[in-house]
Amino acid sequence: MADYLKPLPIPSPESVPFWKGAKEHKLKIQKCNECNGTWFPPATICAHCGSRDHDWIEACGEGNIHSFVTYHRIYHKGWEGELPYVIAIIELVEGARMLGNIVGIEVDEVVCDMQVKVMFDDVTAEVTIPKFQPA
Amino acid sequence: MNVEPSNHLRDRCAIVGTATSKLGKVPGMSAIGLLEEAMAGALEDAGLTTADVDGLLVRGPDEIYTFHQVVGERLGIDARFSTTLTNGGASQVMGVALATMAIDAGLASCVLVGYGRDNWSRVHATKDNHLRSSGRPQELYGVEFGPELGYYGAIAAHAFGATRHMHEYGTTRDQFGAIAVAFREHALRNPDAMMKKPLTLDDYRAGRMVVAPFGLFDCSLQTDAAGAVVVTSAERARDLRQRPVLIKGFGTHNNISGWFNNDNLTHTGAIEAGKTAYAMAGLGAKDIDFAQIYDCFTYMVLVQLEDYGFCEKGEGGEFVASGALKLDGVLPTNTSGGQLSEAHVEGMLQIVEGVRQLQGKYGPDRQVKDAEIGLISGHGGNTVCESTLILGTA
Repeated sequence: MADYLKPLPIPSPESVPFWKGAKEHKLKIQKCNECNGTWFPPATICAHCGSRDHDWIEACGEGNIHSFVTYHRIYHKGWEGELPYVIAIIELVEGARMLGNIVGIEVDEVVCDMQVKVMFDDVTAEVTIPKFQPA
Repeated sequence: MNVEPSNHLRDRCAIVGTATSKLGKVPGMSAIGLLEEAMAGALEDAGLTTADVDGLLVRGPDEIYTFHQVVGERLGIDARFSTTLTNGGASQVMGVALATMAIDAGLASCVLVGYGRDNWSRVHATKDNHLRSSGRPQELYGVEFGPELGYYGAIAAHAFGATRHMHEYGTTRDQFGAIAVAFREHALRNPDAMMKKPLTLDDYRAGRMVVAPFGLFDCSLQTDAAGAVVVTSAERARDLRQRPVLIKGFGTHNNISGWFNNDNLTHTGAIEAGKTAYAMAGLGAKDIDFAQIYDCFTYMVLVQLEDYGFCEKGEGGEFVASGALKLDGVLPTNTSGGQLSEAHVEGMLQIVEGVRQLQGKYGPDRQVKDAEIGLISGHGGNTVCESTLILGTA
């Protein structure tokens, strides 16, 4: 764990519940109590109707790949030796979209609209990063 | 609410001077030094001096948000209207639009619009800078939902769009390659262009992958350079040195609800920005003789061409592969070589090129025949900002 060389997230005040949830292996997103819309990244008002009345819910963790890219070069030393790797825009079943790494599959087998589900990578003793794998 | 553009702005103002600094690898010059060179050149081109200037609009370097003040101090200009724009690559076209609005509102009479960067020198100054690619200080990146995933650089954001377009419409990398090849052919006719070697589709295919689906030749250049233009009223333009180029229409649209939202990856701000610009100009896609399309990456050319109505949505791949973008094609595009092969100054050079084409400045090897109307796009702000300019001969 002491050898983890990638950047760690520095949560904004609004996103603390997301990272706390991840630590407990729960994918937490915000859901509006007025229009039932969900959104990501975290914000204090609903991106769909502007309401300020919302709750943090646990997403079911399933979704599909809206789009993805495959890195063939590194932009940070933490990824040395890990090329190629995939980052996707995941559309969760609840509707919100978030970025996530795709793991557990060969990079050239990843396609748009593919079904994926969350897994939790405990990258350090303190930090867990949600990632996605084929459903 | 439906908003109608003010048609009285059509032909209200003109671009009367253009210049670029040296382009390419220009060690020993700062971004602002390059910008001064371009601004002084644009004024000279117009037959004006800094004493005539009462407006200043610049896109600042990422780390200097009071950039118009720095530039004004060095040029010795007090401005009735000045500010720094932060719409990324959409800033330069927006600067021309804002200049027109300011002149129309009586806030200024003669506005300098420019941008300069020392990107090549900054990125290549140290090995560590190169790793960061943009040369921006690391702390300016977001601190969550990006870096911890290995998500860096404008390239990935745009590549998401390319992937989705390929999935929905069957667009291919070879079609992206046709864009790179066409612009390279244009660059070979431009003595100032950074790229001097021919590029074939096989060369394109052989380029190393960077962030797939983008390889080396899908990416624009790192450049030290600046460009500037002078905007004034059409009435005043008649008495100046150059053949004036009229600002016929402009529009902007920013999908700032997010690049990942809705269908924004495949339907850019160019749809609405273009509608506004066409309405103001009283023109449509069929009236455009040439285009200078913001080409940070090949895919962005393809999708903007669709969104400006030069072909149907989803048919951009076939359109670019047909040879349409070549100098003798149906829509000569990025006739200087663009940011993929001339130099990358976030759209500023494409305004300069558009104006010069309409002034008929080039020899037959580079001049668009009978060019009367040109469309110039600016695109940026991490993919969601779009500005459109339609220029025409007087």
